[in-house]
Amino acid sequence: MALDGLIILDTTGRPIVQSGFHSFPPAYPLLHIDAVNTALASAKRPSDVDPVIYVQGLNLESPSACCHMKRGELRYLCPVSGDVDPLYAFAFLQTFVDILHEYFGHLSAETLKDNFDIVYQLLEETLDSGGHPLTTSPNALRDIVLPPSLLHKVLSVAGVSGLASSTATSHPFASPIPWRKAGVRYNNNEIYFDVVETLEAIVNKNGTPAVSTVWGRVDSNCKLSGTPDLLLTFSNAQSLLDCSFHPCVRLQRWSRDKVLSFVPPDGKFKLMDYRYAPATASAVAQTSIPFMLRPTVQIDEHGGSVDLTLSSRLTTRSMENVFVELYLGDGASGASCTASHGASWSYSPKTQTLVWELKQIVPSANYNIRGTFSSTAEHPRPSRAFRVRFEVPQYNYSAIKIEQLKLTGEVYKPYKGMRGSSLGNIEWRW
Amino acid sequence: MSGQGGQDAKFFQRGKIQEFRAELEAAESKDKKFTKRKTVLKKIVANITMGNDMSPLFTDVVQSLGTPLLEIKKMVYLFLVCYGRQKADQLHLVIPHFLQDCNDRNPLVRALAIRTMSYIPTPIVIEALTEQLRHCLKDRDPYVRKTAAICVAKLYTADPRKAEKGGFVEMLRDLLLDSNATVVANAVAALSEIGDRQDGVIFKLNLTVANKLLTALGESSEWGTIYILDSLLRYIPERHIDAEMMAERVIVQLNHANSAVVLTAIKVLLYLMNYMENRKLMEYICKKMGPPLVTLLSSGPEVQYVALRNILLIIQRRPSVLKNDVKVFFCKYNDPIYVKLAKLEIMYRLAREENAKEVLAELQEYASEVDVDFVRKAVRSIGRLAIKVQEAADSCIQALLDLMDTKVSYVVQEAVIVIKDVFRRYPGKYEGIIPKLCEHLDLLDEPESKAAVIWIIGQFANRIENADELMDDLTYTFLEEPTEVQLALLTAAVKLFIYKAHSDTTKALVHKVLKWATEDVDNPDLRDRGFMYWRMLAINPAVAGEIVLAEKPAITTDADRMDRGALDQLLLHTGTLGSIYHKNPETFIRNATGRALADSPALNPLSRQVLVPASRPNLPLPAIVVPGPGPQEISQSNGTNGSLVATGDPPEPTRNGSTGDVARRRSQESPSNEGDGDDDDDDEAPVSSRPAGGDPYAGLDSAFGGSYVADEPRPQNQDLLDLI
Repeated sequence: MALDGLIILDTTGRPIVQSGFHSFPPAYPLLHIDAVNTALASAKRPSDVDPVIYVQGLNLESPSACCHMKRGELRYLCPVSGDVDPLYAFAFLQTFVDILHEYFGHLSAETLKDNFDIVYQLLEETLDSGGHPLTTSPNALRDIVLPPSLLHKVLSVAGVSGLASSTATSHPFASPIPWRKAGVRYNNNEIYFDVVETLEAIVNKNGTPAVSTVWGRVDSNCKLSGTPDLLLTFSNAQSLLDCSFHPCVRLQRWSRDKVLSFVPPDGKFKLMDYRYAPATASAVAQTSIPFMLRPTVQIDEHGGSVDLTLSSRLTTRSMENVFVELYLGDGASGASCTASHGASWSYSPKTQTLVWELKQIVPSANYNIRGTFSSTAEHPRPSRAFRVRFEVPQYNYSAIKIEQLKLTGEVYKPYKGMRGSSLGNIEWRW
Repeated sequence: MSGQGGQDAKFFQRGKIQEFRAELEAAESKDKKFTKRKTVLKKIVANITMGNDMSPLFTDVVQSLGTPLLEIKKMVYLFLVCYGRQKADQLHLVIPHFLQDCNDRNPLVRALAIRTMSYIPTPIVIEALTEQLRHCLKDRDPYVRKTAAICVAKLYTADPRKAEKGGFVEMLRDLLLDSNATVVANAVAALSEIGDRQDGVIFKLNLTVANKLLTALGESSEWGTIYILDSLLRYIPERHIDAEMMAERVIVQLNHANSAVVLTAIKVLLYLMNYMENRKLMEYICKKMGPPLVTLLSSGPEVQYVALRNILLIIQRRPSVLKNDVKVFFCKYNDPIYVKLAKLEIMYRLAREENAKEVLAELQEYASEVDVDFVRKAVRSIGRLAIKVQEAADSCIQALLDLMDTKVSYVVQEAVIVIKDVFRRYPGKYEGIIPKLCEHLDLLDEPESKAAVIWIIGQFANRIENADELMDDLTYTFLEEPTEVQLALLTAAVKLFIYKAHSDTTKALVHKVLKWATEDVDNPDLRDRGFMYWRMLAINPAVAGEIVLAEKPAITTDADRMDRGALDQLLLHTGTLGSIYHKNPETFIRNATGRALADSPALNPLSRQVLVPASRPNLPLPAIVVPGPGPQEISQSNGTNGSLVATGDPPEPTRNGSTGDVARRRSQESPSNEGDGDDDDDDEAPVSSRPAGGDPYAGLDSAFGGSYVADEPRPQNQDLLDLI
């Protein structure tokens, strides 16, 4: 159960950061970088490359595997040579990316190079050279690796050394709770919850959903002093299914009472993920799609025509930032459309995709786009489904509400805030 | 925070050794806040990461070790880790610094020192480390203790005997009872690493320790949770109740946010279920395992891929998991291809009479998509669905015929290939569609589809009026065809002749083909078969007919399932590379030790019956392998597959000595002898198919692999098929 190391590649596939690989031959990381780049180059779409690549060793008898993933513009590699859970590698990579985000904000080859000493310190602290993840909780990491904040720069200019500042908090890991720093103090004690729900659905030709699922997540920003022990109750907890929680949540308590009992980490963290299912008698209850699409697609030789009407089924709210996309197939060469209500459309030659963009869809209104496209292929084969993405701000499919937030262990009364928003990602077949 | 970042990119310039040396010397004086020294060290480290050799600076850099600044210490240590082994002769210069740091006031420095030492496995450093480690394992600071625990594993790698003699393994065991959960988790990690080595001390858990570890779960970090859960596989339940109680405590971990924790928890549950008898609880666990697996599918494509490969294994062993969730696996248009293919496979496996309609509708949708690979697999899945679910066969055939009307070449070819199997599965039911197949002969240009249609024409030559014309056309290019097609043509020509022995055209045709096969072709298989047919026809055409057109064994889809014993063993590797490649790790990872279910009084009888011991050399493998796990759990294995032919090859000892030693060692360790169970069951158990040779996994590739050919349902005896 050990990872061999970590490599970060820039956009051109060159390594910018890599861990030691001390117990491996020098060629080992290179082999993996090579394997990934070769696989990417030979794939039709980069996203079609298997995330776990088999890497043949130099001397035939020591094959290994390379788990890789792309986040933002960078690609993260994690070679493994033992029988390791690839999820373990991916979970670690994701955690490391999250940490980098936390420290540097936007990630690019430049930011990593500008802060390489911090990146290496982070690497040292999060993954020992034997391949065991060490400290990955941001709260604990901040004690041992100082973020490149302005304050830190000022301190170092003023001559307050890293050693001095880390002795200030004297005992790292002194906190009995691994995810929470000890001795946090705020003047205003507040905690915020962001509930984001995404509707994922596939709709059949006849307009009935084949699958529709609502995935939700609760992000939290905690600014509470001391060691607060929270008890959070939702108004409709029984319709939240398949929940997965931040390690701080007491799982036993949830399975017994459907309440969240936890000592939160300090700062931002993801509290939980869930799936929402409407609590009705019927087992097949599905969340309905908030719009109707009436597509007509005609395919002729070297082209075709599209006529598309989208009507909102919402009665009081409007949908925002609606994107309707259709991949026009290999050989597509252009499109020309007219969209109603002054909505914009575009054709991207790179992805061969027609995009219809609607800033806002008011309740129960109809929108239309019609036009033609051309293709160099004699029988164009556009994708069989429209992809529709949209947002509904300040709304939740589940109508989830915080019923109560109780605090024990501290004397103050915290301020709590909650904000909801909904996204949609629908495939509509024609 | 971005934008305020350092401007350290300037350090990434190729520097000369001489310059650095001079700068380091300059930093000796007038450098109150060590800023100069820090700058030059940063440059050096930047050069190391660029791959430039900085080892000539060893003595100069080491000088900076005394600097009381953590940042500088870290950089010097990084340098030491990189070049320590190269400069083993100069390491004695560093040892005093190490010793000093090991006794520093700051726990971070103490931990850093032992960690760095453990990375430089040279005798002199190891000697010093052994001394220090003893204190550090008992340090009052948990950060030092947890670092020390991992260092023990490193020490063990460098010098196993020294670590054992020094009593470090015992000290690690003591740490299992530490008050700090992170320390416990790291001790578990270290012990597991040692236990996984072929020469390592066996790491086993008893009930008390296992329960202690479970208690630590509540406070551990996610990685600690993984180590602890994984270590539970080293606990062998002696009573059903123990396994059941433990499972109940593990179940809550299925709600963890970390996907690796979830999958590890599932692995433990699957393992413990082998030792349970409470059917209600087992059903409950199966029900509980479904949703977290589904949740994994809402994550990124990488996690989805791993999850899907594992689901494929899990649903074969425990079909009730996800039984009603086939919809979850419907493919989205923009899923990556590897996700789509994996989902398709699972959809096929979850298909039953109740959901066959939905599944077929989806498959038809996919068959009209753009991606060729995916379309082909979808078409093939329609045919496999027809073979698997009898009630859906009619609509599947209709769907295939509709697809053939699209006249898209690769769709038609796939359809023809699967229809051939459908004929085999339902003899006498669908032959009416043969004329329709023959309409599309000109679209077939791939060997496999050509061979399939030729087989159909030959087999049903008596129902196809113009079979001789068709064959005549097809044999026109005989000499240019690939072997696969030539073989099919040869057999079909013989069948045609047997059906229509009195027709002159068929007589001429078979003569022509036999002559080509025996005189103009180099391929020995083809030639031999040609001679064989020729003699048969010459000596006794009637008997030849009986042989060539003999009744064929019924085709089933059971063959593409893994056998139960292999599954049990693979599932011990749930989530690991083995489960991705569907192979046992010791077959593709060097030094990997196999895992096997260990026998205990609590082991469920059927699991014991199919027990595959961890690669045991020189011992015959148990002769019982039940074909396919099937939904029926309790001794339904008998006679499900009457037509199977037992392969009689003696198992070959395939393992080399080194893995064998471990296996022997392990089997001696286990409380009761695994062999007993096997022998006892030998008599009653049905002898059914077993992959040839000594490797019980030999059949796995064909059961799973990514290629289409491998998915094909096939009769149990391949040789027979080729002949007919």
